[in-house]
Amino acid sequence: MFIQGVMMVHVALGVIGIMFAVALFVDVLNVNEGNIERIKKLSLAVAVLIVLAYIIGGYWYVVYYGHDRDIIKAGQWPWAHNYFMEVKEHLFFVMLLLGIYLPIAVYRNTPLMEKEKRCLVLGICALIVVLGFFMEGAGGIIGKGVTIGLMGG
Amino acid sequence: MDKYAAGFGMSLAVTCVLNAIILVIKEKNDAVMGAMKAAMGHHWTTHGVIVIVCFFVLGFIFSATRLETKFDSHRMLKYIIWGVIISGLITAGFFMPNLKLGGVIKY
Repeated sequence: MFIQGVMMVHVALGVIGIMFAVALFVDVLNVNEGNIERIKKLSLAVAVLIVLAYIIGGYWYVVYYGHDRDIIKAGQWPWAHNYFMEVKEHLFFVMLLLGIYLPIAVYRNTPLMEKEKRCLVLGICALIVVLGFFMEGAGGIIGKGVTIGLMGG
Repeated sequence: MDKYAAGFGMSLAVTCVLNAIILVIKEKNDAVMGAMKAAMGHHWTTHGVIVIVCFFVLGFIFSATRLETKFDSHRMLKYIIWGVIISGLITAGFFMPNLKLGGVIKY
C-alpha cells in the first residue's frame, strides 16, 4: 500500500503542478497590479510541486521500480519500459529545470507588464504543460505495461 | 533583462542539451554507466545530480558574464525552446529503436 501511495503522490503532484502552470499562464496573459503577487506565488508553487514530484517519483523509481520493470519487459508491451520509461525518466530533468527556472523568470525578469518579458514566462509555462502532459501519458502507458505483463500471454 | 534571468536562462538551454548528451554517452559506454551506478547507487540519481549541479554552476557563471546586455527576453526564450526541442529529439530519437515500430526502420 505504501508503494502505491508513493506513486499516487508523485502523479498527484505532477498533475497539480501542470494545473498551476496553466493557471499561471492565464494569470500572466492577464497581468495587472492586482494579480502580480498571485503570479509570484504560483511560480513558486509550480517549482515546489515539480521538485517534490521529482524527489518522490525518483525515490519510487530507484527503490521500487525494478520489480515492475521486470514484469513489463516479460510482457507484451516491453516498449512501455524500453521506450516510454526511458524517455520519461530522462526528459523529466528538462521539466525539473524549467520548473526551477520559472520563479527566476517571474521574480527577476520584471516588470511583467512589458509584453517581451511576459513572453518568456508564458513560453516556460507552455513548455512545462506540454512536457507535463507527456509525463502523465507516458506514466499511464507504463502502468498499463505492468497490467498487461501481469495478465501474461 | 536581469542578469540572473539571462544567466540561468542560458544555463537552462545549455543544460537541457547536456542532459541528452550525458544520456547518449552513458548508454553507449559501459564504463561511464558503471561509474555513474557506482557513484550514487543508481545511474539516474547520478545523472540527476550532474544535471542540477551543472544548471546552478553554469547559471552563476553565465550571470557573471553580463549576458543581459546582449540578450532580450525573446531571444532567451528562443534559446530555451531550442534547447528543450534538441534535448527532446535526441532523447526520443535515441530510444526509438526500442519501439516496436523502430524494429522495421533501418538505423
